[in-house]
Amino acid sequence: MSKSEKPTEAVDFEKALAELEGIVKQLEAGNLALERSLALFERGVQLARACKEKLAEAELKVSQLVKDKQGLFSEEAFKEDKD
Amino acid sequence: MLGEYFSDVWIEGEVSNFKAYPSGHLYFALKDEGSQLQAVCFRHSAHRLKFALEDGMLVIGHGRLEVYQPSGKYQAILDAVEPKGLGALQKAFEQLKRRLEKEGLFATERKRALPSLPRTVGIVTSPAGAAIHDMLRTLRLHRAHVKVVLFPAQVQGEGAAERIAEGIATLSARPEIDVVIVGRGGGSIEDLWPFNEEAVARAIAASRVPVISGVGHETDFTIADFVADVRAATPTAAAQLVAEAWEELETRLSDLATQLLESLQQVLFEKEQAIDGLARHRAFDLVAACLAELGHKVERMTGTVEGATRTKLSVTVAALTTLDDRLNRQNPVAQVLRRKVALQGLAARLEKPVLALLFRQGARLGQAGAGLDVLSPLASLGRGYSICLKADGSVVSRIGHVRTSEDVRLRVSDGSIDCRVERTGKTDTGGY
Repeated sequence: MSKSEKPTEAVDFEKALAELEGIVKQLEAGNLALERSLALFERGVQLARACKEKLAEAELKVSQLVKDKQGLFSEEAFKEDKD
Repeated sequence: MLGEYFSDVWIEGEVSNFKAYPSGHLYFALKDEGSQLQAVCFRHSAHRLKFALEDGMLVIGHGRLEVYQPSGKYQAILDAVEPKGLGALQKAFEQLKRRLEKEGLFATERKRALPSLPRTVGIVTSPAGAAIHDMLRTLRLHRAHVKVVLFPAQVQGEGAAERIAEGIATLSARPEIDVVIVGRGGGSIEDLWPFNEEAVARAIAASRVPVISGVGHETDFTIADFVADVRAATPTAAAQLVAEAWEELETRLSDLATQLLESLQQVLFEKEQAIDGLARHRAFDLVAACLAELGHKVERMTGTVEGATRTKLSVTVAALTTLDDRLNRQNPVAQVLRRKVALQGLAARLEKPVLALLFRQGARLGQAGAGLDVLSPLASLGRGYSICLKADGSVVSRIGHVRTSEDVRLRVSDGSIDCRVERTGKTDTGGY
């Protein structure tokens, strides 16, 4: 497993999930050499872990659009009125 | 003069001969079965009408009576007109709904599917209302991995519809936005009114991205709901639609992780079965039998041969011992057992989180497995040994095992040789 194959920071969930699904299918079909199975498994664990970590760190980011003097919108942080 | 006496009159009738002039003034007649009266609704009053006048509509108008001097005819100057029966807002709602429906704005085939995994959600609502609060709480609750861009809009009163429409257009023009939610919390029909206005309906229809409407409560239906790609019953329900995809993704991910582990366990189980099967293979018994036979041979030789042949014997014994050692070293049964232990260790490690270790172990196991073929009993046959089998499959290791004329089969490296026993004889040191 080379380093370049590791999921990048901006992990694409859908792509990662599709790849993971493919790996599970291959493993379930069997008929693979043990070494190949283990390599696939390792890649699968990597993908699953990367996705899980990304999901876990999810924090809702909220901004609002504010019109400036030229009538252009710019984004700024939105402060909620908490209960 | 006349107006002074009839400055506050209500006139009921059917609208006929309706004309809207470019100036904004409305001209029509109000009639019943036996009479009719010309009516005018000047621009400043016409502007306030919540619905559009149509021929045949039953209305009640309020205003004053005047004489139109050029013709000398009476006419009513109306400052307010209400449809008879339905309220004005209701009438306007029905009219706009009918018109947009005719245009195809509500058509099912226009509805776009929500993005499978929304990442940036635009929201058009009041920054101070309950709706934004409910929506953000819902998104957090379901751990939606999204960014929210709020377009703060006044959602009721004069100018609200234009502001909401601007919000939809502005958000949908931003490339990062992949779905827009437009909505507000519950209120009276007047409060919800902007969502029944054409400007909002047009903005929703023109949006680049799918629009979810979440206006008022479950029972409130607005024009915006009809045009929206998805109608959510409330702002909270709208946020849920966005969050759902993320919740599904999380479920799918943990399902896949479980399947991944199970599939590898299955692979390892099958490999273990294969190795077990190999270890139990009768071919290994044959090798063991060969080794035992060699042992007996050595014993017999040691027992029967004396003196002058001793030197020759010791050389033979040494050669045999080396051979025996070599065979023992490569004893496939022991190898297989060692490998099975390694495999069980591997399976045990699978339960542990230290996966890196698993892979190292697995790689070693893979190499060991590859070496297994070299050690198969077939390789021994390749070195010139053969195995003699009786018709019932049992191994012939002593002359007493066979009778004269019995058919036997010799197993050699690349096949078998069928033979018939001619005669048997005890081992002769001088023979081959």
